[in-house]
Amino acid sequence: MVRFFVVFLLLQGALFGLELTPWAQEWFVVPWTNVLASISAGLVKLFDPDVIAHGKVLQSARNGFAVSIEAGCNGVEATIVLLAAILAFPASWKRKLLGLAIGVVAVQGLNIVRVISLFYLGQWNFDVFEWAHLYLWQALIMLDVMIVWLLWVRTLPRMGPAALA
Amino acid sequence: MATRSLPSFLLQVTAWLLLTFFVWWLATPLLAWPVAVLSHIVTRLGFGDLVQSVEQSAEMITFVTSLRPPGTLPGGAKAVFEVPANYRLFSFGLPLLAAMILAAREPRPLRRLAIGYALLIPAQTFSVVADFLKNLLSEPGITSQLTFQPWQRELITFCYQFGTLILPTVAPAIVWVLMHRRFLERFAGRRAD
Repeated sequence: MVRFFVVFLLLQGALFGLELTPWAQEWFVVPWTNVLASISAGLVKLFDPDVIAHGKVLQSARNGFAVSIEAGCNGVEATIVLLAAILAFPASWKRKLLGLAIGVVAVQGLNIVRVISLFYLGQWNFDVFEWAHLYLWQALIMLDVMIVWLLWVRTLPRMGPAALA
Repeated sequence: MATRSLPSFLLQVTAWLLLTFFVWWLATPLLAWPVAVLSHIVTRLGFGDLVQSVEQSAEMITFVTSLRPPGTLPGGAKAVFEVPANYRLFSFGLPLLAAMILAAREPRPLRRLAIGYALLIPAQTFSVVADFLKNLLSEPGITSQLTFQPWQRELITFCYQFGTLILPTVAPAIVWVLMHRRFLERFAGRRAD
């Protein structure tokens, strides 16, 4: 357990530091955030044609309300936490990569639900939007990361007690 | 205790979240008090006379600095520069931790809640102080009064980002995992021999 936490914290610090570099922002974070806005707009258009996405902004053409997907809302930090937790845990590389592939989809999938729900909450009631945006969804995304990690740990072959000791 | 199924655990966490968020919202003035006190101690130790006092009103923790606000006041009146920080922005992981502790149904949940809260106080203090320092650096009329080196400004920016984007969510998760090792071992189909 001690080894897991040490590796987890080191990996997380390193990945988060890397995320903040201009290079990572330009080549990964910003493009990913734009893709996230496009995917969210594409999904919303299935039932609401009055939505447009430009860059990282999701906007209603009907009333002009827009949400801008900023740091903390693009799921990158949550993905980093999951990445560090899976990589730090003792398992084969095959299982780690499989866990990461499925886990990242699960975390980003819920994040898209977050973006879309906030887009509509904001049009309905700004106080509720702020509460959900600043507090509730942050906690739910972390819960999602925890659940994905727990599920992944559960799929691993039984190991000696030293794995969690 | 029997091994819990994931849907059952998840359902209970969700149910508890409704209550814990409500209690957290109401109890914020009380929960924020130790963080305000510790923030004052940390800033006094780390930055000397930069912070004169730290005041708390409901969820707001306000740093009263020895810096002068930008601009001049009528009649040459003196003013102090205050920097507020919203405690709730850095403590929303607390209701999640409480919900997960209660849903795990391990022995002595109240003791675990108290320990979990106590363990989160330093992390919350880190976030609040980093937010205060970053806000100082963001004020054009204030930065000229500060003596931070470029590397210290970079460090403050990193600490602010870490204290805002990572720590409020990750710290409760780490605390929960540390306090529920046996639960996790059962959950993962292992034994805590």
